[in-house]
Amino acid sequence: MADPMKIRASAKDGITEVKVLMSHEMETGQRKDSSGNLVPAHFITEITAEHNGRQVLAGQFGTAISKNPYLAFKFKGGAKGDKLSVSWVDSKGDKRTDEVQIA
Amino acid sequence: MSRFSKSLTRVAMIALAACATGALADGKYAGVGRAAKPAEIHAWDIDVRPDFKGLRPGSGSVDQGQETWEAKCASCHGSFGESNEVHTPLIGGTTKDDVKTGHVLSLVKGDAPQRSAIMKVATVSTLFDYINRAMPLTTPKSLTNDEVYGLVAYLLNLAEIVPGDFVLSDKNIAEAQARMPNRNGMTTNHGMWPGAPASKGGIGNGGKPDVKNTACMSNCKTEVKVGSLLPVYAETAHGNLAEQNRPVGPVRGKDTSGKAPAEVKPAAQSDNAAATKLANDNGCMACHGVANKIVGPGYNEVAARYKGQADAEAKLAAKVRAGGQGAWGAIPMPPQSQLKDEDIRRLVKWIMSGAKAQ
Repeated sequence: MADPMKIRASAKDGITEVKVLMSHEMETGQRKDSSGNLVPAHFITEITAEHNGRQVLAGQFGTAISKNPYLAFKFKGGAKGDKLSVSWVDSKGDKRTDEVQIA
Repeated sequence: MSRFSKSLTRVAMIALAACATGALADGKYAGVGRAAKPAEIHAWDIDVRPDFKGLRPGSGSVDQGQETWEAKCASCHGSFGESNEVHTPLIGGTTKDDVKTGHVLSLVKGDAPQRSAIMKVATVSTLFDYINRAMPLTTPKSLTNDEVYGLVAYLLNLAEIVPGDFVLSDKNIAEAQARMPNRNGMTTNHGMWPGAPASKGGIGNGGKPDVKNTACMSNCKTEVKVGSLLPVYAETAHGNLAEQNRPVGPVRGKDTSGKAPAEVKPAAQSDNAAATKLANDNGCMACHGVANKIVGPGYNEVAARYKGQADAEAKLAAKVRAGGQGAWGAIPMPPQSQLKDEDIRRLVKWIMSGAKAQ
């Protein structure tokens, strides 16, 4: 299980701004280690965000995204105290979901 | 009245006031200045040391720090201290193991995309002092003491050094120090650190430099030995190096064309050749060209001007010996007193005969 994401969500004037810092290796599968062997690919493939169970963001990630990805987005709606959850699935099938309250 | 002259007036008034009161602390400079008041020293003396000397009592929680952070810091450093846009990241690259060992492993392995501040900083007092002294960049020293505590707590929480409900204060800041990821990564045993060596109670090494470059005074090596050479097959990897270096300056490329160098013809020791060598050796050719002007006139010009004059050689010889100015322009020719008379005569003869190389 990967380290938890850091999520910050704040609602203002009916718009919620979300910032997420994921903790993930994001190996491309192109890199070689010091002994010359390929480091196997391991990266986030899908990411979704849900606000009170309603999906507000769905995305596909690939190998071009850096280690420990940072994602920021805004959506309409959301109020203080609402639940916002972000989940990802990676190329090895690992999953992680973290939930915060909108501030 | 300009701003500058206003401030000048103010300085003059302060000086006057000082004269009038004549207050002085140590009596060294009678009538100049006054002793700083304790409150002034308190406002100025803000440094916090690794042993927390100078730290002012106060406290701040991670949550308070987050609020201040979002308001005053996040625009440059990012919400999680991760931003690489304005400054290098503050947070990242440290692990829970680093917190245990006090050494940041990724500094050694080099697998972090970038060195973050938290990877490098060894003392929490540095974080506190720097934020307190210099941040925010636009309005330094505008943060309150408790805000700084909160910000440090927030940063430590981002780096997973302290839990989310942590309240940092002057009482428990030593605990935070004991969990700093790179706390054991700093060495003071080198010449860059000032002060006495550790054995004498200091933290430096007494200013001894790391390198020990001593000038050789006896039994010195007289030659440079070439330790290793590029293998022959690799020499031409970039073409003929001799052709790729400029003909001026100290560096000449090695001829790697593989061809044997053109045979050097034994120098014909004619008068012309001897005179050419003489001119080369004595720096004449630096200013005079054989067929062109450089700084001074070309030899062809000199020969043309003095052609047919009976005393030309004697005149020129005198000019070479004593130097001169004006005949060919404003740039003077320095006197060439190092030359023997016969050499000067030989040179002048050579010039008048057309300055041929052979």
